[in-house]
Amino acid sequence: MNFEAVIGIEIHVEMKTKSKMFSSAPVEFGAEPNTLVNPVDMAFPGTMPVVNKQAVINAIRVANALHMKIDQELWFDRKNYFYADLPKGFQITQDKRPIGRDGYVMIKTNNGEKKIEIERLHMEEDTCKQLHLSTYSLLDYNRAGTPLIEIVSRPNIRNGEEAMKYVEQIKSIVQFSDVSDGKMEEGSLRCDVNISLRPIGSDKFGTKVEIKNLNSLSNVEKAIEFEITRQQQLLLSGVPVEQETRRFDETRKETVLMRKKTDAVDYKYFTEPNITPIKLSDEFVKNAIETCPELAASKKDRYMTILGLNEYDSDILIQDKDVSDYFDKAVKFNASPKLLANWIMVDIAAYLNKNNLKIKDLQLSPEHLSDLIKLIEEGKISSKQAKDVFAVIVENDASPIDVANELGLVQMSDEGAIFELILEVLKENPQSIEDYKNGKDRALGFLVGQVMKKSRGKANPAMTSKMILDELKKK
Amino acid sequence: MNYLDLTIKEMHEALVKKEITPLELAKEAIKRAKADTNNAFETILEDKAIEIASELTEPEENNLFWGIPFGIKDNFSTKNILTTGSSEILKDYIPVFNATVVEKLLNAHAVPIAKTCLDELAMGGTGTTGHKGITYNPYDPKHERLVGGSSCGSAAMVSAGIAPFALGSDTGDSVRKPASFAGLVGFKPTWGRISRFGLFPFAPSLDHVAYFTRSVEDAAFALSLLAGRDLHDATSSNKKVDDYISNINDTIKGKRIAILKEVIDSIRDEKVLTIFNNTVEKLKENGAIVENVSFDLKLLEACYPTYMVISCAEATSNNANLDGIKFGPRYGGDTYQEVMCNARTKGFCELIRRRFIIGSFSLMRENQEDLFLRAQKARRLIVNRTNEILNNYDFIYIPAAPNIAPKFTDSSDKLSTNYLIADNILVLGNFAGLPSITLPIGLIENMPIGGNLMGRKFEEKELFKIAKNIEDGTGLYNLSSRKLVK
Amino acid sequence: MKAITKEVLKDAASRLMFDMSDEQYDTLEKEFEIIIKQMKLIGEIPDVDNVEPMTFPFDVTTDFLREDEVTEPLTKSDALKNAKDVLDGQIKLPKVVG
Repeated sequence: MNFEAVIGIEIHVEMKTKSKMFSSAPVEFGAEPNTLVNPVDMAFPGTMPVVNKQAVINAIRVANALHMKIDQELWFDRKNYFYADLPKGFQITQDKRPIGRDGYVMIKTNNGEKKIEIERLHMEEDTCKQLHLSTYSLLDYNRAGTPLIEIVSRPNIRNGEEAMKYVEQIKSIVQFSDVSDGKMEEGSLRCDVNISLRPIGSDKFGTKVEIKNLNSLSNVEKAIEFEITRQQQLLLSGVPVEQETRRFDETRKETVLMRKKTDAVDYKYFTEPNITPIKLSDEFVKNAIETCPELAASKKDRYMTILGLNEYDSDILIQDKDVSDYFDKAVKFNASPKLLANWIMVDIAAYLNKNNLKIKDLQLSPEHLSDLIKLIEEGKISSKQAKDVFAVIVENDASPIDVANELGLVQMSDEGAIFELILEVLKENPQSIEDYKNGKDRALGFLVGQVMKKSRGKANPAMTSKMILDELKKK
Repeated sequence: MNYLDLTIKEMHEALVKKEITPLELAKEAIKRAKADTNNAFETILEDKAIEIASELTEPEENNLFWGIPFGIKDNFSTKNILTTGSSEILKDYIPVFNATVVEKLLNAHAVPIAKTCLDELAMGGTGTTGHKGITYNPYDPKHERLVGGSSCGSAAMVSAGIAPFALGSDTGDSVRKPASFAGLVGFKPTWGRISRFGLFPFAPSLDHVAYFTRSVEDAAFALSLLAGRDLHDATSSNKKVDDYISNINDTIKGKRIAILKEVIDSIRDEKVLTIFNNTVEKLKENGAIVENVSFDLKLLEACYPTYMVISCAEATSNNANLDGIKFGPRYGGDTYQEVMCNARTKGFCELIRRRFIIGSFSLMRENQEDLFLRAQKARRLIVNRTNEILNNYDFIYIPAAPNIAPKFTDSSDKLSTNYLIADNILVLGNFAGLPSITLPIGLIENMPIGGNLMGRKFEEKELFKIAKNIEDGTGLYNLSSRKLVK
Repeated sequence: MKAITKEVLKDAASRLMFDMSDEQYDTLEKEFEIIIKQMKLIGEIPDVDNVEPMTFPFDVTTDFLREDEVTEPLTKSDALKNAKDVLDGQIKLPKVVG
């Protein structure tokens, strides 16, 4: 029998707002435990939630990028359950009326383009962080109340590659829109996968297994591929798949059982009575969308149509928001986009890679990279010499022209100075003039070489060659 | 006469004239509080009161609350002051912030005298379920009668003349019913008119900050101070706060008043009806148009179960933060679940636990449609009918209770089928979020009985006007058990 | 609707993280009888199922959203001063599993 996988993905994105979803305590990573909380986050009796405007703007931006219908009246609900990391005994979320509904995203796979449908996008709040030690756990409330966006796909993903591409798209959108760091490895983008198998052609769903803790794009793909095989083997040998939660073990490259699912938890949802419905004006929504930082797809389009880059280069630049931002800044200083792209993709990438750095850590400013490229374009230094300048300025962000001068690399492009050297060389080498006149082209190369030597390599070779030719013709 | 026996307005005049100082008032209030025999207090704030009052030397003529002693129901968060909700689960909880209303009173230089007892977590109507036991009615020295709840301690405090003002909260009738039993003015405004930030929630969609005074005018002054938008409470209204005082003595001529027929029909105590009817006659004499209106018996009978289901459902969720982890006593346990279970089993009285189960059951997926959502729909029908009446009439006027304060032997917090419409009618004001005021209208065997008015939302100004008219008619102004009870 | 039995009520209690005495469950069963009967009567009120459930006392909407600005958080000692078991500036619990 042939099976097909039915895969749905829930993604939680931690927003990088200044303050929390419902309180004005700061949102930061890596602070000392329990120093970023206010009474709301600790669920002290009598505290009340007040919705963060930027969180709403962020949710609108992502919903718009995912082509969703936006609900212009915000309602919040309580999801009631007890857990060690849940301060209030309920989480405020949007159950009945998510801010975004019925969207999609296009992904590109080896089998072409596919539309992944998205059911809903809603806002909610994060729980506190637990640190599990040998016999006890410690609670840090800094994370409690951090704004989250949850994005729930419809189950029309069919394999690991599609899942990976889908998550990659969502990640790109939340990063480019500045909504989130979107770092899977740090938990600011968390992804839970639901997967079941059914005979091809069937429209019934099989038993669902949930996979948690997928902390990289490649693990999403690997975990799903493993899980499909596992379930398929079970089904083929007549063993039913059990409803359970599994996690991906990175070292063993397989999914392992976390817990069997007992009966479904009843969260006893009801409307949050402390937040009266919030009406979003057309203008508010429009403004949130229009002021959204440029997304990857739009950047790619601009790189190709306006800056004239090819698709390959454009795709590489938009893989990382910070890289594309760096490129965008550099382009503003009028260096050739093509050369800039090359330098960023080759030289800067190699440097970052070698030193295990991110482009955000780079000393070299976009302006100075642009200046360096302009020196090449203006013929002041050669591409080869530029590499030497780069090696210096990438470390200290010094001005490229200054460094080129210090290294004695700036080409002599002063016609008068070069002309004097040419006259000297011609005087010293009458034989070569004769040779040239007799049709020995090599003589020209020799003469240019002599001028270069006298200029200690600084004379602009193209200019020198042309001027010598002019002189020889006069002879 | 002692200055502490005055109303806020009178006390203010004496303070401005420097006939008395805040410190003297505070000391007298503390003395009386310490002599209290009604179990009104969770905590008497002796040091705090003396400290604050000592610093008040220059009277503020335009600030009615300067130097005025007051009480705070112990479900309002008070910074660095024990706040228990009269529950074992919070018996050692010291908040790190003030409720907005407390902050406003302190900023006005009013002097806090005590935190007052309540039914545990405000979930009761008898004043008997707090962790410190029964609170008694100051009018009954034999201690046989309840003062009513849940704001029992605040009612007892103001009624016994220990302060002219005390904060309470009103989710079903928790200020307006005890006000009737304790001979006080009990007032709650429109939902959203006063910030609830810092009030321990019972059922947020029904909860109101409310309070006791001994005159209608004092109630109007208090609203002027406490009303207004608060950025910490997203449900607080940003409507402009009215001038509640200037026109309080205006004529009520032509005002239309509805009396609910089914409520009157359900009252068996003729004396209550006589007293009530006397006030109605006075209103008519003063030019009001008073008419009997039938509400709809089925809807009125639906009030109590509707209230139970909605309030218990919200309460079970609101109080889920009480788990012994972040605050409250810990009794150990091998797992986090055991830690929570121990804290909550030991922390809540049995009545509360039963209420939580009722609430939780009503919210379960398979029950929600038949219980919680049905109750919310019934609420809408009840509110629609209430507002329909208020489209034709300016006010609804009813006896605030069918009887004087009952004896403890006659009351129970268990659910029963045997309840009176008139005993559960004030909740209309909570369902619809309407301003509502109870004021004394008579005495039966030296026990007070009140009348209750409800008005249109955000029309507190009109409500005070009509209440003042009734008060002037009865002459029952500034009552306290101190004057009546020997 | 779920049928009320003592087991159902005990399960509901344990999900609410507390327990009660047997007599209390008996009382509760009787209370449920009453409330369910009364809610059934409400279900018979004409129109009750033709209206939307009402959460807020009146139809009230706002356009207010809090600006994304930070205020001074609590000091660590204030945040933790009511917690009974604190270690290394964090609240301590028996090891949380699952």
